[in-house]
Amino acid sequence: MEAILIPVHPHRASTGLAPDVDHARLVVEARSGDPGASEALLVLCRRTAFLAALQLLGNREDAMDVAQDALIRLVTSLDRFDVTRPLKPWVITIVRHLVIDLSRRRRVRRADSLEALLAEGGSEPRDGSVSPEQSAEHEEVRRRVARAVSHLPPLHREVIVLRDYQDLSYDEMARILGIPRGTVMSRLHRARSLLRDGLSEYHSGKGGRT
Amino acid sequence: MNTPCHRTFEEALLSGFVDGELTQADEQRVRLHLEDCPRCRGLVRELQELREVAMASKFSEPNPTEWGELPRGRASTLFRSLGWVLLAVWTAATAAYAVWQVAAGPEGLAVKVLVFGGVAGLVLLLVSVLLDRLRAARTDRYKGVQR
Repeated sequence: MEAILIPVHPHRASTGLAPDVDHARLVVEARSGDPGASEALLVLCRRTAFLAALQLLGNREDAMDVAQDALIRLVTSLDRFDVTRPLKPWVITIVRHLVIDLSRRRRVRRADSLEALLAEGGSEPRDGSVSPEQSAEHEEVRRRVARAVSHLPPLHREVIVLRDYQDLSYDEMARILGIPRGTVMSRLHRARSLLRDGLSEYHSGKGGRT
Repeated sequence: MNTPCHRTFEEALLSGFVDGELTQADEQRVRLHLEDCPRCRGLVRELQELREVAMASKFSEPNPTEWGELPRGRASTLFRSLGWVLLAVWTAATAAYAVWQVAAGPEGLAVKVLVFGGVAGLVLLLVSVLLDRLRAARTDRYKGVQR
């Protein structure tokens, strides 16, 4: 009998907001007009905003535009932010609305495959525990998955981005998407099934390895 | 892998299991099923691998010099938005007033052509934006996505 699989919490690449920073305190200080706090808050949020926009749009220039607009919205809506909630879902909610607005207003610029926007190395440990060959293989798998994510319909792409790239919980996703938690799970599962279909050619070529 | 699957719950629960997002009761149901179902065990392993790969992906980010200026604060941002609204209202009012004055006034044909031409240009720009919006609404890739 095989060991029963346990839900995993693998090492992940950073998605922006540092967990050790007191975001609520920064928001409160920024609200009270402290320019230093306001600037620190925006610098913290712009990385999250850019990465979420990049993963949703697949285009660097559009992602920069959306991230800049998101920062402006952030500044003007600081009073509406509930400081008892985490900051990241709020930033991503703003980004998502801007992405939808942009896509409705005009066709976005030519979407690059996410594959082309990956940084070298991923979150591979640098301590020598991974051989160059393994590292190259992991890189190739990350590229294939990114390419498959790029080909998903927006409805499914966004749940993969929110869960697997941005590491949000189902509750946070449900609030951002305005759908019940159960729908988040079924939509995510459907998206993953589509991803698996997209990767099936690779699976058959590599004997089942993702 | 051809062993029949006697799962009595939705397959989506397997994703919830991988994500550690199930209730204790559901997690137990899935765990018990996985003990007897190699097919679902394989599926769970694939889902775990997919998630691990996605989570380990790192995207290229702009270097600090690529970022534009940070927004200056709520007041300046609000003033800028208000400025654009006022400018749009002023343009529409001025154009309407010019048309009304020139149509009713004694100006020569050249002046009338200049004024009507300019206003017609503005109207055409507005119509083209409306048409683009209409076309975008018909071919909206985000129709199924809630705003």
